[in-house]
Amino acid sequence: MLDVGRHPHINLLAYSEVEEVSGEVGNFKVKVRSKARYVNEDLCTGCGSCAEKCPTMTVDVYNAGLGNRKAIYKYFPQGIPSVYTIDAEVCRQLGQGKKCGVCAKVCQANAIDYEQKDREVELEVGAIVLATGYDVFDPSVIPEYGYDHIPNVVTALEFERLLSASGPTAGHLDRPSDLALEVEVEGLEKEHKKLSRQVKQLEEKHGKSSAEVVEQVKSGSAGDDKDLSNWASLAEKLNGVEARLDPMKRKLAAARSAKKLAFIQCVGSRDFRFNKFCSSYCCMHSVKEAMIANEHDNEVSSSIFCMDLRAVGRGFEEYKLRGGKQSNIRYVRGRVAEITEDEAHNPIVWYESTTSRQVLHEAFDMVVLATACVPTAGAAKLAELLGVELESNGFVKTDPLAPLNTSRDGIFVCGCAQGPMDIPESVAQASSAAARAAEVVAPARQTAAAAS
Amino acid sequence: MAEEIRIGVFVCDCGSNIAGYLEVSELAEYAKTLPNVVYVKENLYTCSESGINEIKSAIEEQKLNRVVVASCTPRTHEPLFRGTCEEGGLNPYLFEMVNIRDQCSWVHMQEKEQGTGKAKDLIRMGVAKAALLKPQEPIESPMDPRAMVIGGGISGMTSALALANRGYQVTLVEKAAELGGLLLQLDRIGPSNTDAASLAAKHAEQVHRHPKIKVFTTTSIDQIKGYIGNFNVTVSTNGVQEEFGVGVIVVATGARVLKPVGLYNYDGERVITQLELEDLFKKRAFAAKNVVMIQCAGARNEERKYCSRICCMVAIKNAIAIKERSPETNIQILYRDIQAYGTENEELYQQAKQLGVRFLKYDQAKPPKVEDGKVTVYHQLLGRDLVLPVDLVVLSTPLIAGEDNEAISQLLRVSLDENKFFLEGHVKLKPLDFANDGIYLCGNAHYPATVREAISQALGAASRASIPLSKDVMKVEPIVSTLVDEEACRGCGLCVALCPYGALEIVRTEKGRKVRVIPVACKGCGVCAATCYQHALSINSYTDEQIGQQISAFLETGTEG
Amino acid sequence: MSDDVLVIGGGIAGIQAALDLAEMGVQVHMVEKLPSIGGKMAQLDKTFPTNDCAI
Repeated sequence: MLDVGRHPHINLLAYSEVEEVSGEVGNFKVKVRSKARYVNEDLCTGCGSCAEKCPTMTVDVYNAGLGNRKAIYKYFPQGIPSVYTIDAEVCRQLGQGKKCGVCAKVCQANAIDYEQKDREVELEVGAIVLATGYDVFDPSVIPEYGYDHIPNVVTALEFERLLSASGPTAGHLDRPSDLALEVEVEGLEKEHKKLSRQVKQLEEKHGKSSAEVVEQVKSGSAGDDKDLSNWASLAEKLNGVEARLDPMKRKLAAARSAKKLAFIQCVGSRDFRFNKFCSSYCCMHSVKEAMIANEHDNEVSSSIFCMDLRAVGRGFEEYKLRGGKQSNIRYVRGRVAEITEDEAHNPIVWYESTTSRQVLHEAFDMVVLATACVPTAGAAKLAELLGVELESNGFVKTDPLAPLNTSRDGIFVCGCAQGPMDIPESVAQASSAAARAAEVVAPARQTAAAAS
Repeated sequence: MAEEIRIGVFVCDCGSNIAGYLEVSELAEYAKTLPNVVYVKENLYTCSESGINEIKSAIEEQKLNRVVVASCTPRTHEPLFRGTCEEGGLNPYLFEMVNIRDQCSWVHMQEKEQGTGKAKDLIRMGVAKAALLKPQEPIESPMDPRAMVIGGGISGMTSALALANRGYQVTLVEKAAELGGLLLQLDRIGPSNTDAASLAAKHAEQVHRHPKIKVFTTTSIDQIKGYIGNFNVTVSTNGVQEEFGVGVIVVATGARVLKPVGLYNYDGERVITQLELEDLFKKRAFAAKNVVMIQCAGARNEERKYCSRICCMVAIKNAIAIKERSPETNIQILYRDIQAYGTENEELYQQAKQLGVRFLKYDQAKPPKVEDGKVTVYHQLLGRDLVLPVDLVVLSTPLIAGEDNEAISQLLRVSLDENKFFLEGHVKLKPLDFANDGIYLCGNAHYPATVREAISQALGAASRASIPLSKDVMKVEPIVSTLVDEEACRGCGLCVALCPYGALEIVRTEKGRKVRVIPVACKGCGVCAATCYQHALSINSYTDEQIGQQISAFLETGTEG
Repeated sequence: MSDDVLVIGGGIAGIQAALDLAEMGVQVHMVEKLPSIGGKMAQLDKTFPTNDCAI
């Protein structure tokens, strides 16, 4: 990533989108909208003071919705370009019309610019390489997996963020149900603090105990005294909060990280209801996640529920076997019929083990859905803009004997935009697309070189 | 001139890769106590933009003249950190990297205290060496703008055409009489159902006609000398030798289909391989009524652990082909996993099932038994033995490494993996490059690949190869062998004999026979310097003095014991 | 006529394509819709089978 940012021959337009493409191979005209960050890219040093002081929190998409970030943010810490961006929709000033300006105040580089506008950039290029990647299948359309309502059923990407040192849990496999509990407890503790303070103030002012006042109001001897009845309700509220808080805190204290994991393969893929294709890398992805989880905590054990465990790349079969031997992984051949939940938020997986011909169910600490690689939400629109055809699954169409060519001359595609594939394949294809693109533009270079 | 040595040490958390297993703050504190260290910083990710900027500012503000980064392996980020030092105004070879991840935190995950102690030793050694580093300048070498492709199958031809279309002169060397490789033995290829021989012929014609491609067939390679930008190749065709020069080489030598002698009663007639089935198709000699295909025949076992990736799809494609010729023929495919990955393959798998091909899962522990006229298999999902009547058994055998791989790996001085396939530079990020500069890899030579994948990889290899070709000169890292004491050299030639890269030669000088280093070929492996009993040769940045100092630093007990 | 190339997408594929082209001397324009490049790979913890960190 750093190499891209620093390379003299690469003009990086991040936070930008292609709006219009015209022309033909050798001579494309492209209109790009470079969106306003409200931060001057040239001045921002990426120091982070703005985010520290920003009063607005919102959901962090980078952390797969598992964490929060500020309205002024860096997509992820090592991101290139290393500059901040204001999410105008959630920003108090820009999106909510309220007065703020904190970031501008603390920015020592004077990089904040609330007046910044989107820029239109026009490019003339000889060839285009499409490398727009993929989206993760949304498992909420599979109601029997319970993704929507069972907190400890997560997608593979969410699990990656949980495993990650730079993620919302610093790499600890904290269960989302416990994380949610933490947030609830935090909120309640805040309320408790506020109520306690108010009640204490009243007690000190009047020299009475709240219990007395409550008794007074209940017995009716307080009469119409609004102050007293307010005080009483405050005190009762406080008691209520305490009553809820104590068991929750005890539960939180007893919470431990996930030790028993289940991975469900083919979520949204190899499925006649959604996508018939195989998502290629998810089997390996799950094996890897199970191995890493075991590395973090060698009490972790994993069960991978699959049909075929597709380990077809170099070193993959060996990796899979190693996982089985060294990392407490068991491979179960069977599709999962349903996931339910017990009162302790442990997901229960109902499945058939086809090789033992038994229908079983088992409780786990966390279930990871190996969600399929699907075409990006913007794929159809972008394909239209570029004039390239899509195949039946929505990926960019290519000819098996000309695997980087799209249906339009001069436009090439590589990586998951073309179909699900792992990293070495994407990298190899990227070089291939570069070769194709170079074939288009290199003759022009050679004439220039010959002329000079 | 005694220069004051001012060393800056940057200790990396590497996320949790290091910080999760070692006490990094303790390491940072320890580094401060080491001789010549004037500045220490702990980072979450030293390789990130902020980490890089910290190094650059520290060089300027602290007037550092040596930088030590204690983090991951030099293989990942040493070039980045060297570049950073250069940008900070420091000679990039005044930089030393200490590996406390792969060589420490990753291997001592359950031993925090001792792991931290070891990391301290490593840092102490790195700092000791850094003090003795001398500035170096990169070495320039000319770039021959021509390429050689070894292998004339689909990968080789595609790569050659890609480079030639860019305007580069390509020499294609093929050991058989005809171009086409494995395609010449196939009937049709999936998923496009293209006739393999026509595809091969079409590419061969383009190759032969291309003004920028010179083709050698029935040719073997005798010798490859030199290095990136300056390879010298000797080939022989029917005993006649020819020599030529190239700047880069693409290896596209393909693979062979395993003939499973001794497995499942293989006899080449009633028990055959998929390749032999293709031959039956081509000769229009297929006539069986009950076919059983057995997957993973000779693969995914103790002898050959790997999955050969394409055999499931070959079986499915051929099963469909049989059904199209002869719909009444029964086909049963006995499998362990069906590797129909991706979009097109899964569709073909469905199609085969719809045509009536039956798929039966068998247990690796209870493989099928092939006898005359029948195959007995324990159906893992039914939990009982099935006896299948059969008049043709087709074994899906893996692709195994080409028979010349070992010889070629020696000619080129490149690595093979445990299955004798060629080993790429990095499994994830450099799938088409060798570790050696200037040599690239694609197709079955690398690992079993479908035709679609082979074409894609071949284009990729051409792209990678064209990067050096596009440059006028090669810039090479100066971590190479140097004749530091010419007087001491006796010209004995022992080092020349032992150099794995052909980077040394003996020449006549006025002082007699002396060794000469070819810096661009040298990989700095150190064999020559270690061998030379006269201590005439030394490796830049790995001198005897520097290594000696590291050893002394290690042996000193210090405060940690 | 132009000898520049546009790469749409700043994930690992886009990055590799852009770097290859740039190293060949071609001027590349990379357009990425998110605030920074890195794509899905930047969200991964480690990658198989080497277990290198994805960053």
